[in-house]
Amino acid sequence: MSLLVIDRVTKTLREGGRMSVALREVTLEIDPGEYVVVWGLRCSGRSTLMRIAAGVEEPDRGVVRYEGHDLREREVLGEGIGFCQKRFGSDECPTVLDQVMVGLLARGIPQPVARTLAEAALERCGALGLARASAASLHEVERVCVAIARVLTHGPRLLVIDEPTNGVELLKRDSVLGLLRSIADDGTAVLASAGDATELSGADRTLALSDGELRGETVPAFAEVVPLRRTA
Amino acid sequence: MGEGHARKRAAPMRSLVNWALLGLVIDRPSYAYELAQRFDRTYENAIALSSVSHVYIALTTLEERGFVEEIEGTRMGRQPRPHYRATEAGVEAYRDSLVQQIGEDRQRQRLFVLELGAFARIPEIALDIIDQVERSCLAEAGKAPLPDMEPGAGSTALMARLVAEENRRAIGAKLAWAQYARQSFRALRTRE
Repeated sequence: MSLLVIDRVTKTLREGGRMSVALREVTLEIDPGEYVVVWGLRCSGRSTLMRIAAGVEEPDRGVVRYEGHDLREREVLGEGIGFCQKRFGSDECPTVLDQVMVGLLARGIPQPVARTLAEAALERCGALGLARASAASLHEVERVCVAIARVLTHGPRLLVIDEPTNGVELLKRDSVLGLLRSIADDGTAVLASAGDATELSGADRTLALSDGELRGETVPAFAEVVPLRRTA
Repeated sequence: MGEGHARKRAAPMRSLVNWALLGLVIDRPSYAYELAQRFDRTYENAIALSSVSHVYIALTTLEERGFVEEIEGTRMGRQPRPHYRATEAGVEAYRDSLVQQIGEDRQRQRLFVLELGAFARIPEIALDIIDQVERSCLAEAGKAPLPDMEPGAGSTALMARLVAEENRRAIGAKLAWAQYARQSFRALRTRE
């Protein structure tokens, strides 16, 4: 059974009194451990697709199922599905470690345990050295890695991230993509959007979204997966 | 130097292997066997040697054209390994060859687009071709390996990174073009 099934989803957006179809009968299935990237130009509906896949937004028509359950009937955001948000809010969480721990503490996890989990997630993302840094002082690539770490603390089976390398310095971009690839290799499915086709590298499946339609699905069995690094 | 030799030098060098090998010698002077190994590593999936001896033949050609020269004193010892380095003429010719390729790539692309225009009256066929262009780009983009970004990696790694990036950028441009072309042909269909 697929981990996530987006089944004939249609979404219309209303902006300034105008209606526009963001997604038109979009169907997509994601299996555990898959790394799927959806590319699209601006206003192609890629961000809407990410929000709907994560259960942050509801479709007008169609259904999104996670492990067979309709997302409208079962809240899995923050548990099975991790939606990665790069914005850090609140002055109450001044350091990176605070930012990564806050979700765990909100769930009633004792501070020492939350701290251990947060540090492990930061280490997994190569950002443990930033634990005591001010969250407001982070460079874009650091912000992304910390945001991913924050989601990983909850042990999601699916990580959804909108334009992970948007704003990231060119020479740092591939380290973010490499991190996402490695997360998928560890068994957590990753669904990412891309405004730049360079972000498609390393994905198991690559799709394009235009005029609300999803195109170019490559079947995993036929798509050769090239390892990120040569194995020893 | 005879007339035949002069004629040979004047004719453009067409062999892709020769040009690719010249690039390796420019990057780092070396001997045939090492160049063959580096050739495989550097140009894998792009161009292949028929055998190691292909390198010896290519080096001879490059030397005859004055693009590479043997480094004195490297032919000695029990197992002589003559090393080759690029000449100024070799570097210049290599640069000119690269510049020429830019134009050839663009020409091929322009020709494809112009030929696609033949389906202006049958937009369904054009749309199908555009779909295939898009699918092919997406598949290629996904397969593109993420280059090794480890600091301190040598020139081979740098070349691999540059090639990967050029490829990714080219695919991105083509994907964006496919969107534009699709919308244009759809508009044509609607009008008819």
